[in-house]
Amino acid sequence: MMAKPKIVLKSVTKHYDAYTRALNNVDLVIPEGEWVSIIGPSGSGKTTLLNMMSGLDTPTSGTVSINDIDITGLGQKMLAKFRRENIGLIFQQYHLIPYLTALENVMIAQYFLGTVDKETASAALESMGLGHRLEHRPAQLSGGEQQRVCIARALINDPDIILADDPTGNLDVKNGEIVMETIKRLVSEGRTLALVTHNMDIAKQGRRTIELIDGKIFNDSSNRADTPLETSIARTASTRHGVR
Amino acid sequence: MFFRIVERSFSKRKSRVAVAIIAVLMGASMTSGLLTVSGGIEDKLGKEFRRFGSNILVTPRSDTVEIGFPGISFGSVTEQRYIDESDLLKIKKIDEWSANVLGFAPFLYQVVQVEYKGSIQKVILAGTYFDRGYPDLVKTGEVWRTGIKKIAPYWNVEGAWIEDGDDKSAIAGISVAGKLNLEVGDYITLSYENSETKNMTTEQLKVVGTVNTGGSEDSQLFVTLSAAQRISGRPGKVHSVQVSGLCVECPAELIGAEIVKKLPYTEAKTVKQLVRAESMIMDQLGQMMFLITVVALVASGMTVTTTMMTTVMERRKEIGLMKSIGAENMTIAFIFLAEATIVGVAGGFFGYSLGNVLAQYIAESVFSAPISPLLLILPVTVVISLLVAVLASALPVRRAIRIDPAIVLRGE
Repeated sequence: MMAKPKIVLKSVTKHYDAYTRALNNVDLVIPEGEWVSIIGPSGSGKTTLLNMMSGLDTPTSGTVSINDIDITGLGQKMLAKFRRENIGLIFQQYHLIPYLTALENVMIAQYFLGTVDKETASAALESMGLGHRLEHRPAQLSGGEQQRVCIARALINDPDIILADDPTGNLDVKNGEIVMETIKRLVSEGRTLALVTHNMDIAKQGRRTIELIDGKIFNDSSNRADTPLETSIARTASTRHGVR
Repeated sequence: MFFRIVERSFSKRKSRVAVAIIAVLMGASMTSGLLTVSGGIEDKLGKEFRRFGSNILVTPRSDTVEIGFPGISFGSVTEQRYIDESDLLKIKKIDEWSANVLGFAPFLYQVVQVEYKGSIQKVILAGTYFDRGYPDLVKTGEVWRTGIKKIAPYWNVEGAWIEDGDDKSAIAGISVAGKLNLEVGDYITLSYENSETKNMTTEQLKVVGTVNTGGSEDSQLFVTLSAAQRISGRPGKVHSVQVSGLCVECPAELIGAEIVKKLPYTEAKTVKQLVRAESMIMDQLGQMMFLITVVALVASGMTVTTTMMTTVMERRKEIGLMKSIGAENMTIAFIFLAEATIVGVAGGFFGYSLGNVLAQYIAESVFSAPISPLLLILPVTVVISLLVAVLASALPVRRAIRIDPAIVLRGE
């Protein structure tokens, strides 16, 4: 049975100016609970694609729907509400607030949702193996620890979509593995994941890999031979635009 | 959490916060200082103005009778009337503006003949109070004193003043002294013939001082009121009274009206030029202080804007992050406005304290008198500082809520 589409991009194009076309007529469907890895060279539009999905950026043309809601038509206030309720963002650069402790960096996401709970935030960090680092500031944490704080913050409001932009890009192998184990656990819990990476080994851990080149889906393939893709729309689209 | 964000943000940016608070403090201190000064300045300036002399002249109301035939006028005759000396204290005891009556000096004039070493001159003899004490008007342990010394501090007397009750001394105007070659310590002979009774009065007086005012006083000879009354044969009579009324919001006319109410047979005229000048100076001073305050507050506001704008630019990534994880524009705005509120309140509070020091300095150096801090100015200063800080933050807040999280998080 085909899973319900979670994220649907229809003919999404993004121009930053007359000469910079970050995305070019992208069609993509990500079913609920699927892990889609997004690969491609620098400047191919990977991060822009994630920003479209999170509503941080708006397409020049086309539509982005999450849970059957066209988020391109939402105002700033509704988009903010949509993000804090549905999306967990994990950044390559962690983006923690430097003057807040690890615990406060997690609690701030709760604050924006209006449900500050210190116990839950502490538990989230403890589940990331950071129970001893609650009161440490980002500068006092290693890169791996900061990324785990970032993941704890992304998950604290229990979003059903995780958008991760190269989460292991700044980490050593050991910390990268710890982070990926956490991410795998999120998918196994039924969350939908779109993960941008430059690492093919990580990309292959997902069910499906999309390759972006010059803002177009060049390739969209299943990483498991035994499990055919259900995303016929995406496959068709990539075939239509990605032939070289 | 909100307060923790604001508090942590503050503690991380101590120097910028300090700059913003100092900027507001400077504006607030000007506001507080000038408000305090302006609160006391009317009183202080009013007293300063009184150095230039009285501003109300009380004279008996006279009936003027036209003389002549129908169509032919021979002029008019005015009956000479007097103010009773026994009524003078009523001037101080008016109802509403009593405290504003700083002093008065009665005058009784008579043209007399003065002889000194063979030289004879006709001069105007003026009897007045020089430094009269009223023991029945004791306030805070001090006898209320009035007279020339009080209402005309501009009198430049060489030698000595005439003591209250000393009827054998005189102060000569500088012109009179010049014409008769008088010097302090000389004795003069004064004579007056009453035109009605034909009685001749002769007195020998000692010149204890000379006076130089540059005005009509220079051509007069001054003695105590009682001496003048005795010489002219008008016991208990006074021609006019000069009153020094403290012009706070210039109620000189009101003081005059109250005096007339107490002494219905008199009329009170204000010295309009002086009153108008005082009013004009007060207005201009008020406008100047208002302008200085506005300029100081605008300068403070601009510094706060610049500082807050720098802070917003420094915190672009943080703002972008907050937006990306679900912060609404309103939340971002509240964070910065909360910071502006703290800056405004702190600046206003410390500015009030500094303003009091400033006000004391101005009062001491300009008026040589201390000025009392007014507690009412504290909330006024704090509210003004708060408004300045919040208004000055409007542009930075607008910039903050327009930050595009996608661009910021990309590192552009």
